[in-house]
Amino acid sequence: MGPEMDKLGVVTTFLHNIVVYNIPLLYGTVGEIMVEKSGSLNLGVEGIMAVGAIFGYIVGCYANSLGVGILTAFAAGALCGLLFAVLTVSLQANQNITGLTLTTFGLGVYFFVGNGVKAVRWPAMNDYPAIKEGFADIAIPGLSQLPVVGRGLFDHNLLVYLGVAVALAMWWYLRYTRPGLRLRAVGENPASADSVGVNVKRMKYLHICLGCGIMGVGGYYMGLNMSGSFNSSCWINGYGWIAVALVIFANWNPALAILGTFIFGFFNTLRVSGSSLAAAFPGPLGWLAAVPSQLYQALPFLITAVVLVLTSVRKREGSGLPASLGLNYFREER
Amino acid sequence: MRFHVVKRDSCPLWKRLALYVGAVAAALVLGGLLLLALGVNPVAYYSRMFTMGMVGNKIAYKSFENYLKVFVPLVLTAVALSLAFKMRFWNIGGEGQFILGAVAASAVAFQAGPVLPGAVTLLLMCLCAMLAAGLYGTLAAALKVKFGTNETLMTLMLNYIALYFLTFLGETKATWNFFLDPTSARPIFVSFAKTVSFPRIPMGKFGLNVCVLFTFAVGALVFVYLRSTKQGYEIAVVGDSAGTARYAGMKVNTIVLRTVFLSACLIGLAAAFKVGTAGILSTNITDDVGWTGIIVAWLAQMNTAVIFLVSALIAMLQYGSDVAAATVSQVDSSFANMLQGAILFLVLAADFSTRFRVVLEGKGGRKHGA
Repeated sequence: MGPEMDKLGVVTTFLHNIVVYNIPLLYGTVGEIMVEKSGSLNLGVEGIMAVGAIFGYIVGCYANSLGVGILTAFAAGALCGLLFAVLTVSLQANQNITGLTLTTFGLGVYFFVGNGVKAVRWPAMNDYPAIKEGFADIAIPGLSQLPVVGRGLFDHNLLVYLGVAVALAMWWYLRYTRPGLRLRAVGENPASADSVGVNVKRMKYLHICLGCGIMGVGGYYMGLNMSGSFNSSCWINGYGWIAVALVIFANWNPALAILGTFIFGFFNTLRVSGSSLAAAFPGPLGWLAAVPSQLYQALPFLITAVVLVLTSVRKREGSGLPASLGLNYFREER
Repeated sequence: MRFHVVKRDSCPLWKRLALYVGAVAAALVLGGLLLLALGVNPVAYYSRMFTMGMVGNKIAYKSFENYLKVFVPLVLTAVALSLAFKMRFWNIGGEGQFILGAVAASAVAFQAGPVLPGAVTLLLMCLCAMLAAGLYGTLAAALKVKFGTNETLMTLMLNYIALYFLTFLGETKATWNFFLDPTSARPIFVSFAKTVSFPRIPMGKFGLNVCVLFTFAVGALVFVYLRSTKQGYEIAVVGDSAGTARYAGMKVNTIVLRTVFLSACLIGLAAAFKVGTAGILSTNITDDVGWTGIIVAWLAQMNTAVIFLVSALIAMLQYGSDVAAATVSQVDSSFANMLQGAILFLVLAADFSTRFRVVLEGKGGRKHGA
């Protein structure tokens, strides 16, 4: 293999890493879009992903099945969602407080359960062939043969494809189906939706649980990415908060969230592989080595802050921000 | 049978207290069951946690000093946040404001510490921290007032921008970076000069940090400010209804900007107290008080006196569980996070019954519509 091939190899690896390490972000984002479209601002994404991750990973390993892991992660996330819904929809608790508490609680559960299992016997991913094989890359015939981008974009594990499929399905659901339209109506103006016969409570419960379940699967994916090695830093490592930012960046549109994941993922991957790109292309990209890694970490939040300001300057035209986001709906006050 | 929920006009204090105490007790019982499952005696664990290891300890005064170090930044941050929350301005940027305050205070400590007297340096630290944090908070308020930018999401973003700025300072070896130890090859923060430390008033072996006194003084001032001044009244009116305030001729934008500035300033003061007591900056300088403070302020319903009480309890939970974790190896501090979460969930649920009433409709009740 010549040096030119090596250089292209660096680019391919770079593209590959953007996808592999950032699709969990897409799960968190798409889940949060669903929750926010129902009018609820859930700041517990980080905690919910952590809870989904720990239960999905442990149960998946013991069952030696990726499918069981995914379903468990979904169920654990959805349970957190149910807790959030009971407190904010039925019991009218403040959404910000409930979400933040869910993050503290979720991270507590993550470490408590993880440390507890570790004290007995921690399941190592290598011992579970079905999980390892289930998580192995699957090349898309044809597309994966393309030069450079082929292996970069079209040779990935099952959860990558699933994540993109979920995002597209949700985009279609919100835009073109009747329940999707009703859901958006609930997020915009629950009182009007209620008056035309939409069951606001049921819509909120259902979509909060569904959205949180999707976040849980994203958490599980992060655990698998770390090969399930459990130590003092959480697998989720702030991705839940980036997901909250990405929802805004994607303008509450699940299809745009895919694009947003690539953009945020691009910076996130530059942080890790910037130096190898700089080494492969010292002329045009040599400066990359000098950029502090913390700038890459701050960029998603900086960009989102700018987007927030710009969209508010242009007022609500074209903004996907649900009008009643963060406000509880109390029927008797209609 | 159908039921519906109606708002209560008021709820007697004893009933509210009973509900909250019940919620905390229920959470402790749940946690106790978990401890039992782990083979840990819950009574022994809880008593160690709530006494913070002070009973039968020769250096109990040390424990109490450490407890106050947890308590002071938390209560001051919560009091500060309550100012903004009372106005229904969702400043969840406490973390970011605290960080900028801490960085500003440390910068002063490094630059002025070696040349100026200790007391002057400490005063300058407080002022600069308040200014830095205050302006950072006002940024979000100005955007809200001018363009209607969502302040919850904006302050959230500003938290992380500040956090990575702090990690940048903490991880970048460079000649300009006076925050780091020049003698160490690895990037580590360097301590302030010995003179730059808040003095302690000796009371026997126990030393009372002056920050504790200042914190109580600030708490008293805020209490009076909210209750008995014109500006405090304006905050309450804007919180109730911005429309009403405008109709009554109040300059709502000015009130929002002023109050958020004040709120963020006090968070900066909390940060100055924190670094001025620790004598060193660190990347996790906030101890999450920006997050916990939000919860404390809300639980206390923005009542300054109650904030002191709730902060004392939460600080006890956090510090006490660290102490208990040192002796009971099966249970680490993640248990405290879970317990804290469980307590809050149950209190939030109990809160429902203080604000609402469930009314059952009998068979002969209304059927459809009014």
